[in-house]
Amino acid sequence: MMRYLFLFLSAASLLFTSCDGDISAAMFAGGDGTYDFKNEWLDSKYHVDESKIHLLNFESDDDTVYSLYLGDFAQIATDTIIVYLHGNAASMDQFWQTAGLFANLVDQHHYGFIMYDYRGFGWSTGQSTGAESMAADYDAVLEFLEDQGLTSDRMIVFASSLGALAAGPASAGGSRIPIDKLVMEIPQSTSNVIMQNTSGLSLPSSMITSYKFDIGEDLANYDGELLWMHGTADKTAPYETAKAAMYMHEGSYFTEAIYEDVGHGLRWAIGDEEWSRVVLEFIRH
Amino acid sequence: MSYKPMKTVRLSLACLALILASSCAPTKIVKPLDKGQWQIGGTLGRPQINDGSLPILGAYAAKGVSENRTVYGGVQISSALLGSAHVEGGQVKLWREQNGLEPALSWSTGAQALMSTRDYAFRLYPETGVNAYWHRGPHILNASANTWIDPTWFLTEYGRGQILAPSFSAGYRFRYRWIEAQVEYKILNPTREILVPQADVPNTLGLGARGIYWGVALNF
Repeated sequence: MMRYLFLFLSAASLLFTSCDGDISAAMFAGGDGTYDFKNEWLDSKYHVDESKIHLLNFESDDDTVYSLYLGDFAQIATDTIIVYLHGNAASMDQFWQTAGLFANLVDQHHYGFIMYDYRGFGWSTGQSTGAESMAADYDAVLEFLEDQGLTSDRMIVFASSLGALAAGPASAGGSRIPIDKLVMEIPQSTSNVIMQNTSGLSLPSSMITSYKFDIGEDLANYDGELLWMHGTADKTAPYETAKAAMYMHEGSYFTEAIYEDVGHGLRWAIGDEEWSRVVLEFIRH
Repeated sequence: MSYKPMKTVRLSLACLALILASSCAPTKIVKPLDKGQWQIGGTLGRPQINDGSLPILGAYAAKGVSENRTVYGGVQISSALLGSAHVEGGQVKLWREQNGLEPALSWSTGAQALMSTRDYAFRLYPETGVNAYWHRGPHILNASANTWIDPTWFLTEYGRGQILAPSFSAGYRFRYRWIEAQVEYKILNPTREILVPQADVPNTLGLGARGIYWGVALNF
């Protein structure tokens, strides 16, 4: 009897799975954006020259990706440019304060700064679904920077949380401008780790999604310089697994900034001064 | 605009992973069925995430193969909708009859099998548990302890696997003639911290997760 019962239930289950739709998009928390990038929303010490705020858009496959550039375009061919890959919030709006901070590292507009919304975030059209869409969006922005004259030796890629999912494959050879300096701030590690931390079992992420990422494996194939910033109390991107992934890096230079009892809101917890110190030290290294 | 770190409360991929979490399903059979009796039921589980909960749908069938032994099999429909086949089967055996206020005891053994339809990754989790229950008229009250056994714990990345994934539950069943209604409160995997990115998982002393489950079944 049990044999027939199992056969029936297995068949029923497989029948259901035949209508399998990938749910990778559920990982991305994209939402509306206003793009109201003005000084009035910034602390006065992070004010920018409002004539140097540029809202851009790029074609990424069949979608349009919106981007914010702070600085002079001419700067891209001659100066250091920070490419910021933001975390899992609705849009670039949530990172305007961060942009202001970057724009005031050293002094106002010392470095050029660019960030963008992944598909489905802010005004960017479409829907982020995984490695392919993330890579295409990143490449659309890099294509613009390359056209403007940016070269590898002047590019800093700063990936925060979700941004690490785009930065990982890019660092492992997937960037048209090779990355030589990479900052991983509060990064995830692998899709399997997320699945296993959530389920408490040895389940692979393929049980629920085709989006498979392994940032440790990416970093093992990255030859450039790496700064890793993390808090030991991070429950969104757990410290221990992030550490295991970051330590797979065997590139030319590695440094870490680890903070006890700090969670996922690292920059807010350690303060702008300490955060700027660590980032600047790495950029100037 | 807001510039604080954002606490996303929407359903995330990781929340969905909780659907496959250990013991994230109600106890099917607490008291063995009568010999020859069939029970077919549907279950709705709701493990808690943030201020809400996730719906977990399942269906099962059970048959009393003797006076004190019932076999069952079930399918997790929610898992199927996410792209994995998830079936379970097992038996529940009466261990000790109820004696006044002393509860009856039953013992369950079985297994959960999951297979990804994407890369055909397969996992098998044997499980065992014990149920203490009081049956009076149509009312059945139970307290249960169960554990999944993870024989592939070593496949967990970065060496964080655990062999046992226990759960504890308390429930009430109304079994009258051909119908049975079930409700159960369950503490899931309290031996480890369940981490769901950008979500709060209500827990007990910082460990595990919890949920409420309902079921409706027909007896014939």
